[in-house]
Amino acid sequence: MNTPLDNIRTVFPNADVWTQRQGLYHMSIPKEQLVALVTHLKEVEGYLHLVQLTAVDWIEKNLFQLTYILNNPIKKIDVMVKTFIPRDNPTMETIHHLWEQAATYQRELREMFGINFPGSPRVDKPFILEGWDDIPPYRRDFDTKKYAEETYFPRPGRETNDPKEYMKKKLYPDEI
Amino acid sequence: MKFKDIFKIKEDRSLYPPLNSEGKIDVDLSSHKYVKLWHGPQHPGITGNMSLELTLLGDEIMDCETHVGYLHRGFEKLMERRKWIQCFPIVCRITVPEPDYNEYCFAAGVEELAGIEIPETAKWLRTLTLEMARLQSYLMWIGGQAGSLGMGIVGQWSNYCRDLVLDRFEELTGGRIYHMYIIPGGVRGLLPDGFEKRMEETLKTIEEFMVDIDKVMFNNAVFKKRTVGMGYIDPKWIYQFGITGPNARAAGIPDDIRKKYPYLKYPELDFEPIVGKDSDIYTRADVRRRDLLLSVDLIRQILAKMPKDGDFKAPTPNVLHWQIPAGETFIRSECTRGEFAYYIVSDGSEYPRRINVRGPSYTHAVALLEKMIINTNLADVAGLMTSLHTYPPEIER
Amino acid sequence: MARIKDIISPFTAWKNVVKEPVTIKEPLKREAAPRYRGFHKNDVDTCIGCGTCESICQNAAIDMVPVEGIETKNGDSGLRPRIDYGRCCWCALCVDVCTTGSLSMSNHFKWVDSDPDVFRFIPGVDKKEWDNEPNGYKKPGPNYELYSKERVHMPELKPEERDKSFIEIVRGYSKEQAMKEADRCVECGICVATCPAHMGIPEYIKAIRNEDLNEGLRILYDTNPLPEVCGRICTHKCETVCSVGHQGDPLSIRWLKRYIADQNPAENYKKILETENITKNGKRIAIVGSGPAGLSAAHYLALMGYECTIYEKLPLPGGMMRYGIPEYRLPYEALDKDIDYIKSLGVEIICNVTVGKDITLDELHQQYDAVFVGTGLHVGRSTRIPGTDHPNVYQAVDLLREVTMGKEIPATQSIVVIGGGNVAMDITRTLARIQNQRYGKVNIITTSLESENEMPADREEIIEAREEGATIIPGWGPVKIEIENDKIKGLHVVKCVSVFDENRRFSPKFDENQTNFFAGDMVVESIGQGMDLSYLPESVKDNLKLDNRGRIVVNDYFQSSVNWLFVGGDIIQGPDVIHGIANGHKAAIGIDKFIKSSMKS
Repeated sequence: MNTPLDNIRTVFPNADVWTQRQGLYHMSIPKEQLVALVTHLKEVEGYLHLVQLTAVDWIEKNLFQLTYILNNPIKKIDVMVKTFIPRDNPTMETIHHLWEQAATYQRELREMFGINFPGSPRVDKPFILEGWDDIPPYRRDFDTKKYAEETYFPRPGRETNDPKEYMKKKLYPDEI
Repeated sequence: MKFKDIFKIKEDRSLYPPLNSEGKIDVDLSSHKYVKLWHGPQHPGITGNMSLELTLLGDEIMDCETHVGYLHRGFEKLMERRKWIQCFPIVCRITVPEPDYNEYCFAAGVEELAGIEIPETAKWLRTLTLEMARLQSYLMWIGGQAGSLGMGIVGQWSNYCRDLVLDRFEELTGGRIYHMYIIPGGVRGLLPDGFEKRMEETLKTIEEFMVDIDKVMFNNAVFKKRTVGMGYIDPKWIYQFGITGPNARAAGIPDDIRKKYPYLKYPELDFEPIVGKDSDIYTRADVRRRDLLLSVDLIRQILAKMPKDGDFKAPTPNVLHWQIPAGETFIRSECTRGEFAYYIVSDGSEYPRRINVRGPSYTHAVALLEKMIINTNLADVAGLMTSLHTYPPEIER
Repeated sequence: MARIKDIISPFTAWKNVVKEPVTIKEPLKREAAPRYRGFHKNDVDTCIGCGTCESICQNAAIDMVPVEGIETKNGDSGLRPRIDYGRCCWCALCVDVCTTGSLSMSNHFKWVDSDPDVFRFIPGVDKKEWDNEPNGYKKPGPNYELYSKERVHMPELKPEERDKSFIEIVRGYSKEQAMKEADRCVECGICVATCPAHMGIPEYIKAIRNEDLNEGLRILYDTNPLPEVCGRICTHKCETVCSVGHQGDPLSIRWLKRYIADQNPAENYKKILETENITKNGKRIAIVGSGPAGLSAAHYLALMGYECTIYEKLPLPGGMMRYGIPEYRLPYEALDKDIDYIKSLGVEIICNVTVGKDITLDELHQQYDAVFVGTGLHVGRSTRIPGTDHPNVYQAVDLLREVTMGKEIPATQSIVVIGGGNVAMDITRTLARIQNQRYGKVNIITTSLESENEMPADREEIIEAREEGATIIPGWGPVKIEIENDKIKGLHVVKCVSVFDENRRFSPKFDENQTNFFAGDMVVESIGQGMDLSYLPESVKDNLKLDNRGRIVVNDYFQSSVNWLFVGGDIIQGPDVIHGIANGHKAAIGIDKFIKSSMKS
């Protein structure tokens, strides 16, 4: 399919581009070329606005997906640039030199997912969590329910019954 | 320091210690030349629970660090443990004063991934609630902006007006603050009988009060003195810092998502984005005041154009085990503070894989504020902050 | 420099000094909007305790708790929601999802108390001042649903496509239809108690949603070894209590079961059900009768390692499933699929052997470790009205049996059928087809004591019989068969006013002034079946405990007072396939217990 991003393919043959809907495109690229691609998009293609930078934990594949949502304010196009990095000891190049707010995003990702961005300002400083000593909490393997049960105590007097089991207990306790 | 020096547009660090590698200042407090001051988290001039760690030279701010986390409830993580429908009562809590943008972005994202087209009436009702949310959020802000500069009376008027809008919300949605009205698939009810009439009365009252507020706040020598030329945002920073909404429009960038990336029924409404040019606190306040009046106008247009009956919810699969097809999407809307967006990832299961919220305050209150605040006077910090219109809950989600 | 106007203008605020304050004078008396999501109300008599409110609550604020005075019974768990206002967020999803519509909200929002525990309450049970408040949030209507209330339409042959042939009418769900129907389930599990076999209904419906039909089959076989049969002709009591049915169509549980069975090919059964290697325990069980009870007992005994032999009087196994239910409802291939799988477990079925004649029960007792009899109800009952001794008066079960055996059965040009149950419908529709084949038109009148709404036959049976040309006239009691010159002329009937007395006991009352005459030259009786226990030898009969109505007394495991003899199926509890299956399953467990205990002693 022809997209306004087709010319990216000539510059970045490794980039995979597909369309979601009018004005929203996806792009996937190996980790090493990501910063080059994002820089190209910003400086050459006019994707001036960094809307969002976030991560998705694909724990089954042992990967983190990093999503950079960029916006071209002139052409009114959004592109989701994605890359996958290994979950073990995750590190990514910083883009704070391109957008000032990226440092904040990266600081949050460092804190919530444990993804390091060497060179990003204050990246090791706690952002939201102060004095956190567990694993980064937005990772899929951090169990919020277990944490809540260990950290807080339940209010006494709460008990519930499953209708199916309760009816069995009441109406046919001995049957299979 | 001379009075006019406060209005410096260019950063002047000539009197400050040098920046370290992280772009911050290391100060030796025992030298007694500098003061560290915590502005918040319980400060009436702060919008919500956040705090600014200020380093002062005299009463001039030479360094600032934004601290958030006082409101962190881990919504994004909570949603990963809940079924899609169970996220619906949660999302509104991400931004207390205007929950509807959360509800809309979440619902629209789910609908896009699930391939659901919502009924026309639902689209109109959604547009209506989003505009009502804008109206009441601006009314709350205007009180904060005035209050942070010492004008308590404006806050009393505007909050009275806001209460009237909340009354309308109450009869339309069943809730005053958390409306839980825009449900994936549509909305939860039609307009109640006589709603238009009562809404019109409310809008008239607001317009009357806005005339008073204009006289007392915008045409006030003190207010002008403290805001004109103050808190300048350089248009060059707009994309550099990810500035959106009235903060960007006051700098002359006519980007209004309602117009630029039209959603719901905005293409059928007649309006132009409100733009300012001076990019100082006063201009931003004025842009918001005019945007507020635009909302009043839009609500009138919506009520005149919208159908009053018909289906308001599309059929959805059983919400108790609704599996959203795998995929990811990005939904944005224009809230009072700027670009409000949801990034939703589904792995095809009954639970969201990841929902990430882009609150405009995220960029405004941290990177931008830390830059803007340098060289300002301590007494102006509160006014400057409110002029960025930040809500901490959407920073930490 | 500041303009003078800007200095004066703020002073206009002083005009408010003379204005009336806008504050609400008595804020505590302010009434919330009619739609306000305030404190919960629950109509406990309508509520069935399905717990759907609990499942949707994202705050885990709702517990399902027993309530004094509310009994656990079919279709009502006896539980009621208790809401913890320390957790509730008043989103009202519980109201929207409530299957019965019993849950709603008032617009009350003030409740002050110093004891935090009172804020955990059972709406409707713990009396509150807002219980009768008409205002407050209710589920918005119309067309606002969180799940579909409409059943997915089952494709069926049209009347004109089916009225001459015996091919199956119901086509079965496609994958999409089954997924869509399965999606409607709210997984409350209220149905499980009502199903005689207590099948894992929510679980197998979930397996359809998850597209895991192998798992679905495993769940079916946990409690039911005849899913192809039950998927077609089960009386589906589960559907009558389905919580979704309270405000919409109940789940099509029976068709979904059939979908699972139909979609799994017979040759994969043993692999899916992990029955390729069964360790035999060397014990032998004889089973008399190859109906649902006997097959079910054989299946579960075979899984436990017993060697089972089924003795069947008729040429082919299946009992009433084959010889009673017409092929258009239950095709023989479907029945054979279930039976063949049971056979593949090592169950031997010996047909054309009548126990009591070809082999005695005593002989079976000597050759086997235990005996299970499930010989069913095969003898048609007569109305015994004058004229029933005429050769052209037939019993429905006899005719149905002969149709299956491929015999030419008598079907004249105009027939009167007496009876309002499913067997009556079966014979009506069978005869209608034969009339259609032979004469090209249908002329059959079926009459029953019961009125239209009381007729025990399934609703769709009645509708379909009418579609196929039969005339069904309920509410008449047979009086006499009119015979002229040895030929039947028709049936005299009187109006039946009521069938049951106030204790729901059978005690028909008639209005003798209202009479009617249904013309016909052949009469078929279908008012019920009795059992034939003549195969029981005297030695057994002497020790067998019977109740005051002449039925064999059995314990919870269907063991009779003769300890090696287990009895189940229609002769104990029925007539109904699913009860037979449940009986057989339980008897199998009882037999296992019996043999293990006798080995110990």
